[in-house]
Formats: sequence, C-alpha cells, structure tokens
Amino acid sequence: MKAEHARRIFQLLVLGVLIAVPMYSQNPIEWAPSRIAMGELPTPRVSRVWGDTWSFSFYGVSITHPLAALEAVLASRVLYLPLILSALLPLLVTLLMGRVFCSWLCPAGFLLELTQRLRGRLWMRRRLVLIAGDHRYQLLVFSLLLTLLFATPVVSAFDLPHVVGRELFYLLTYGTLSTGGLLLLAGVLTVDTLAARRVWCRSLCPAGGFLSALGAKRLLRIGKKVERCIFCGECNRVCPYGLRPVELGIDKDYNDKDCDNCGLCRDACPSGALYYRIRR
Amino acid sequence: MVRLSRRNFMKSLFLLGFAGIGGGVRRQVIRPPGATRDFLARCIRCGRCGEACPYDSIRFFDIAAGALFATPYIDPLQTPCYLCLKRTGEGKDEPLGEYLLCGEACPTGALMRIRNTRETLLSMPDELKMGVSVLNRDICLAWQYDSCGECYYNCPLRDDAMLDYPPSEVIEGAVGIRPYVNEKHCVGCGMCNYVCPVNEKIASATLEPGRKLTYFEERYAAMVRNVIGRAGPGVELPAVRVVKRL
Repeated sequence: MKAEHARRIFQLLVLGVLIAVPMYSQNPIEWAPSRIAMGELPTPRVSRVWGDTWSFSFYGVSITHPLAALEAVLASRVLYLPLILSALLPLLVTLLMGRVFCSWLCPAGFLLELTQRLRGRLWMRRRLVLIAGDHRYQLLVFSLLLTLLFATPVVSAFDLPHVVGRELFYLLTYGTLSTGGLLLLAGVLTVDTLAARRVWCRSLCPAGGFLSALGAKRLLRIGKKVERCIFCGECNRVCPYGLRPVELGIDKDYNDKDCDNCGLCRDACPSGALYYRIRR
Repeated sequence: MVRLSRRNFMKSLFLLGFAGIGGGVRRQVIRPPGATRDFLARCIRCGRCGEACPYDSIRFFDIAAGALFATPYIDPLQTPCYLCLKRTGEGKDEPLGEYLLCGEACPTGALMRIRNTRETLLSMPDELKMGVSVLNRDICLAWQYDSCGECYYNCPLRDDAMLDYPPSEVIEGAVGIRPYVNEKHCVGCGMCNYVCPVNEKIASATLEPGRKLTYFEERYAAMVRNVIGRAGPGVELPAVRVVKRL
C-alpha cells in the first residue's frame, strides 16, 4: 500500500472529526428573551467529544499537543497533572516515530498538500523555489520567551492546524469566522500556492519545529537499500522539505532531522529502494 | 500603595498595548464560570469549553482583542450562561452533567471543575464567579411600575441569588415582585441581564415605527421608554447588568 493513501485516510478522518464534533455540539436555534418569557425554552445539546488537534477529548480521555502543555506550564508556572498526563501519549508517539503528526494528521498540512496538487494541475511541473531557510526553531524560542515574559501562551493562538480546526468550529457553531484566523490561513495558502512550496511547514511552523526537535532520536525512519538505488533523484524531487534521500546510506553526514515520515519518497522510488525501518 | 510585580507590570503593558491596537472590547462581557485568577496564563485557546457549552453561550474573542485572541467569553446580552441546567420553566431545573461542562472540558485547569449542584454554586468562592449582577432601581419596571419580575423568575438560583425584596420593607399596599440581588450568592451568569426588558433593542425599536415587536416587547415598550426618559440620558441600559467582581 502506498504511504500516501494511508496518510489520506488519517487526514480525512481528522478533517471529518473537526467537522462532525462542532456540527453535533452546536445549538440550532438562536433564542430571544421574549421567547423564554413566553415559556419557550431552549434545548441544550450535550456532547462528550470536544476539541481539535491542539487538544482533544473523547469521553474523558484527553490528548493535548505537547507544545500546548509546555506553554501552559511556562506561562502559569503550575504543573497541572491532568494536563501533563494528557500530553504523554503524543509525546511518546513523537519520540518514537518522529513528527508523524505533521504528515499523517495535521489538517493544515493536508490543505497545503491539496494546494500543491492544485498547483500541479495549473502550472504543470514548474518547480517552485525553496525560498527561506529554516526559521522554525528561532520562532519557537521567540514564542516561548514571549510566553514566559508575558505569562500567556503564544503559539496556541496561531498554530495553523489549530486555526483550521478553530475556524471550522466557529463557522459551524456561530456561523462566523474570526478575522485573525482567516487572515493567517488565507495568507499561508496564498503564499504556498503562488510562491513557495510548503513554506509554513518548512520554515515557519513553531509547533512543527518543536515536534522535529522531540523526534530527532526517533526509531521509525526512512531507510535505503543502497544496492537497489539507481540514483534517479526522484525522491529528492518529491520531498516537501527539500531533503535529499538519494544521499541516504552514502553520505555519512546526511541529516534527516526534518523528515516527518510522510513516505512520499518511498512512494516515488521506482526501484523500491526506500522503505520504513525501525532503527535499533 | 499598590504593589505591582515586574511580571504583572509587563503583563498589563502587553495587554493594554494590544487592546489599544484593536480598540479593545466594547461590551461588558464575562469569563465562563470557574475562570481562575491566572486564566490568561493557563488558557491554551483550544476552544473545548465552547464546544462543550450546551447552549453555545461561550464565544471567542477575535484578533481585535489583542492578547485575548481566541480566549472564551460570555456576552450575557447575546446568550447568558445557563449554568448547565435544563430549564423546565417550573423551577425544577435539572443539571446536564455532574460538573459545569466548560470546566470539565478545560484541559489546563484555566476553568476549574465546579460540581453542578445548587449547594456548590451557592458556596462558590468569589474569584471563580463570573461576575455579579447590579440592579438599577431607577429604570427597573418592577420597582417603578410593579409590572415585571422577569429576572427573578428566570434566575437559575432563584430565591438565593435573586430575591423578592424583604417583606418588611415592601411598600404598604404594593403588589408584584421587587427583585433584589444577593451579592453573596449571585454567580454572575447574566440570565437577568439577558431577560431584562429594559434593553437597547426594545428602547430603540420604539423609536422606529416600522419594526415589528413581539407581544411582550410591545407591552413593555411604552413603559421602557417612560422609565428611561425619567432616568435621563447616559444611563446604562439593561436595568440589571452583570459587572465583573473586583
């Protein structure tokens, strides 16, 4: 099975949850005081599934993005045990498998992949320059400093997948979008479509940087059977982060810390040299 | 002298600066129940409280609110907090869950878990309450005309937070409800603020003849215009309003 197909299933599942949860929990009618006065009472809607990719809860089982937990702890300087516990599962997954969140779950990443596909249709095969270096770590450190200094979470307000989930929630529950989130989303999508491929994921996303750093010593990696490789360079071309899998196993200093295990290079390899492997 | 730590000073500078950019928040809005003192430090803007809210009372600040962006608020004039009760209209309200749902949904403890029983709500510490209602007797229809009492009848904590005025002080021969806020028990849910007929909508509707009013609005409209006219200009409009506790 192609990794891309498996990823699409996960990404669509996440998007479906982001739409279904607010759709179920929203109240259909806007109530006016006079209607209450006349004895017409609103019907409450109680659901037990809340949240999006930043923090999610299913019947009391809570999962929180590790960066959200870190920000809350830094800002409030309180270790709130349920919060720490809820961040453990994604933390463990990231430590073992790298930032699979970015490639397998992130709804913003999904949208950006779709825009790339759209771009491919519109400007057939014209390559985009990979402008801008990697500023994710600088942005992350800067945000965490702001968090510490002003005692309020910063990345939480602008994390792109969270913004996608939040805007969907606002739209389906209140029928409005927030200006801040909409501007950010529109800006990123425009730049991504017209100018630079995956520029948010590659060089801006502080949450992605955080997960990258956590997954530096991950077990799940892309490996290469060197004897099978025909050095066509197809893998280099498809990598959204500008990595060069063709150098795997040849260049000792090859650095793949930005790899999010999306498997695009594995799918693109004509000779089947690239594969998922567990590092021992 | 007020002592201000450096951190709080920087925080206030930051908040003021950002609020200044967008013009800040215009209406009096309140935080959801159980918001702690360090709410802004703990809130990770996840929006779970808004999804959990069974009446969609909780809304979220836009970027114009600066550092408060995407944090929850309740605008009692839009939708008040129903304290997670299923209203039945006969005073037999049923709690919708064991805890107030926003507090249960909050992953960081920015909103505390509050058990949804009348006893717990009545004995809530002041810093966790949303605010307190303030009633302006000068423009209150019940106090001026003996002809209202909506806030009293709709209060989720009726006879504790909102009382009929102590009988000994009732004016000789008067009839009807004379609502009175007990600040000790009022949690500031804003229900009274929401149902009060002395509001902008009704007051301004009386000035535009083309606008269609409901039966109750029509009944109140003339009286509302009258009390507001008597109180003079510059009076804050719903006769009973939620304000933040200081």
